[in-house]
Amino acid sequence: MYRLFLTPVWFNGWDLVFEAVGLVVALLIAAYSWRMYRLNVENRFAYFSLAFILVAVGLAAKMITSSILYFTPVRDVAAVVLGPVAGSHLRFSGLLYRGGFFLQMVATLGAWLLIYFISQKARERLKRFDELTQLALFIYLVLLISVVANFNYFVFYLTSTVLLGLIVLNYYRAYLNKKNKNTWRVMLAFMCILLSSIFYVFVFWFEHFYVVGEVLLLAGFLVLLYTYSSLMRKK
Amino acid sequence: MGSRRSRLELIFDILLAIQNKGGRIKPTHLMYKSNLSHKLLNSYLEELLGKGLVQVEEEFSKKKQNTTKTVLITDKGLGFLAEFRRMREFTDAFGL
Repeated sequence: MYRLFLTPVWFNGWDLVFEAVGLVVALLIAAYSWRMYRLNVENRFAYFSLAFILVAVGLAAKMITSSILYFTPVRDVAAVVLGPVAGSHLRFSGLLYRGGFFLQMVATLGAWLLIYFISQKARERLKRFDELTQLALFIYLVLLISVVANFNYFVFYLTSTVLLGLIVLNYYRAYLNKKNKNTWRVMLAFMCILLSSIFYVFVFWFEHFYVVGEVLLLAGFLVLLYTYSSLMRKK
Repeated sequence: MGSRRSRLELIFDILLAIQNKGGRIKPTHLMYKSNLSHKLLNSYLEELLGKGLVQVEEEFSKKKQNTTKTVLITDKGLGFLAEFRRMREFTDAFGL
C-alpha cells in the first residue's frame, strides 16, 4: 500500500474524527459565504465560498484515502467498488492512493491560495484579465506542487506553511487596522493551522508530530467555529 | 472621500434611518437621512415595499388639509438590518 508517511497506529481513526470536525466547519463557512454572494453578487464572497469548499474537499479526500489505508473492511469495500479501475489483482491500487492524496493537495493548496488572495484585498486593483492570468498561473503551480509532493510529501506541507504564513500576516495586518476581536480569532485559527502544517513537515523525523499537527488543526477549526457561531448569535 | 455605496448598503442606510427615528419617518426626512435624491429614494422605496421591508401609512391632516405619508419599518425590515449587521461582522472578521 502506498503511504505518504507513517503515522502512530494508536492514532488511526482519531485523525479522521478531527478532520470531520474541520470539514463541517469549512462547509458552514462556505455555505454562509455563498449566501452572502447570492445577496450581494460580489465575486469576493463566491471566491471565499469556493476556498472553504476546497478546504472541505481536501479534508474529505484525505479522510477517504486514510480510512481505506487504516481499516480492512473499508479497504475490502473499496477494492470491490474500485476493482474495475484498479485492474486485476488491484495492480493500480497505488495509483488510486496517489490520486486521493493528489486531490487532497490540489484542493488544500488551492484553498490557501484563494484565502491568501482574498485576505490581501489587492484584487480590487486588478483588471479581470490580470486576475484570470494570475489564477491560471497559480493553478498550474498548485498542480505541479501536488504532483511533486506525491513523491516528497513535505513539499506539500512546506508550500502550505508558506501560504498559511502569508495568510496569518494578512490577518494580523487586518487586525491592526480594525482592532476587531473576531479578526484576531480568525488570525489565531490560521496560526494554529500554520503550526499544524509546520509539525507535518517534520513527521519524517518523529512520527508523533503527526498527532501534534492534527490536534493543532482541530484547534484551528474549533476557533473558526467559535468565531462563526459568535457572529451568527448576534442580533 | 468614501467609496460608492453598494445597493445593499443603500437599503441598509434607508432602513437604519427609519429604525433610528423609532420605526417611522417622513419621506423628506428619510431623503436627508439616507443621503439620496428624491428619484432614487422613490425607486428604492418601491423595491422595499414590494419586498415587505417597509410599509407606507397615509394620514389626512385636517390642519393642513392634505394627506401626509409616513414610512414604517416592518419586522422583516428589522430582520434584514440584523442580517446585514451579521454579514458586515463576517466580512470584517474574515477580511473580505
